[in-house]
Amino acid sequence: MDTEKEVIISARNVVKKFGERAVLNGITLDIYRGETFVIMGGSGCGKSTFLRHLIGALKPDSGKVSVLGKDLSGLDEDALDAVKKKIGMCFQSAALFDSMTVGENVSLPLREHTKLDRSVIDIVVKMKLEMVGLRGFEDLMPSQLSGGMRKRVGLARAIVMDPEIIFYDEPTAGLDPIVAGVIDKLILDLSKKLSITSVVVTHDMKSVFSIADRVAMLYEGRVLEVGESDTVKNSKNPMVRQFIAGSPDGPIKFFQQKDDYLEQLIK
Amino acid sequence: MAVKIEEKNNLTVCYIDGEIDINTSPDIKKAFEKLIAKKVPKIVINLAKVTYVDSSGLATLVEILKNMRTYGGRMRLTNMAHKIKSLFEITKLEKLFEIIEDEAEAITTFI
Repeated sequence: MDTEKEVIISARNVVKKFGERAVLNGITLDIYRGETFVIMGGSGCGKSTFLRHLIGALKPDSGKVSVLGKDLSGLDEDALDAVKKKIGMCFQSAALFDSMTVGENVSLPLREHTKLDRSVIDIVVKMKLEMVGLRGFEDLMPSQLSGGMRKRVGLARAIVMDPEIIFYDEPTAGLDPIVAGVIDKLILDLSKKLSITSVVVTHDMKSVFSIADRVAMLYEGRVLEVGESDTVKNSKNPMVRQFIAGSPDGPIKFFQQKDDYLEQLIK
Repeated sequence: MAVKIEEKNNLTVCYIDGEIDINTSPDIKKAFEKLIAKKVPKIVINLAKVTYVDSSGLATLVEILKNMRTYGGRMRLTNMAHKIKSLFEITKLEKLFEIIEDEAEAITTFI
């Protein structure tokens, strides 16, 4: 890896437990400015929980998460808000407000966090909707849009404040392959054109290798492998290979009860 | 951020110094509203000392241009750093604005 690259997100030995269950078991990762970094792994591997640590929604039990040079655990609410203004979040469900028009949804962060005039905000909204191919849709309601269009509106809202980093949570989940391809292309375009760092959590293999500069695979709350997209794609690690191939048989067990079933029944 | 306004060759030349972003855009808009109220016909905006422009800054420049056009006014942008010019290209705004390499040229050819 190029040593001159600037680390924009850093996680060090991040541990998180929900009750007795450790979801993150000591994750250490660096993400560089301007790259598209994909975090992949099966359901329950901890990738969404890890993402929530990166956006400051969860704090680790131990370890450290730094974003844009700030240790998130040490920040008060105002300082954390300042960091959050520099990041955009694209949720799995698009998370639009159904009672607001497309334009109102996209402009919401600007109306809440800035003193810009309405006329200027309207122009910004038009510019952002143009970037996601939805100019002219300002006055429609979310219920009038397809799933892919809703995601694009979510994306327009995520970039409305010119973030330095965008986090995507399963951006192509539930979309047909063509629409998923459109979303992937948009993620790539926006990352390159606007020089945004993109962090994408997904288990859509097609998506992973079409957008990622680097990939990390998580398994049981640990980083199983991290590296350039092609390196991970051709990994010799049998777990990584099984995951990429989507094979039910292999070292990754999908039924992992530690106690004996019959014993548990009569316990 | 600061806006300095000078008269040169019967033209209004504005120098913006600093960043044009979410925090400074409202003040820039106010500074130009005074010129627009006077229906200043031709404005050259020298961006040599502008280090950063965000989307709200671009939108503010669009808004100023839009308001000038209501009375037939014209605006030229000059001395843009390469990084800022590419921002105009990405957002397809380079075709909306008259972008001229340097101030002297913009003034002498502003007919």
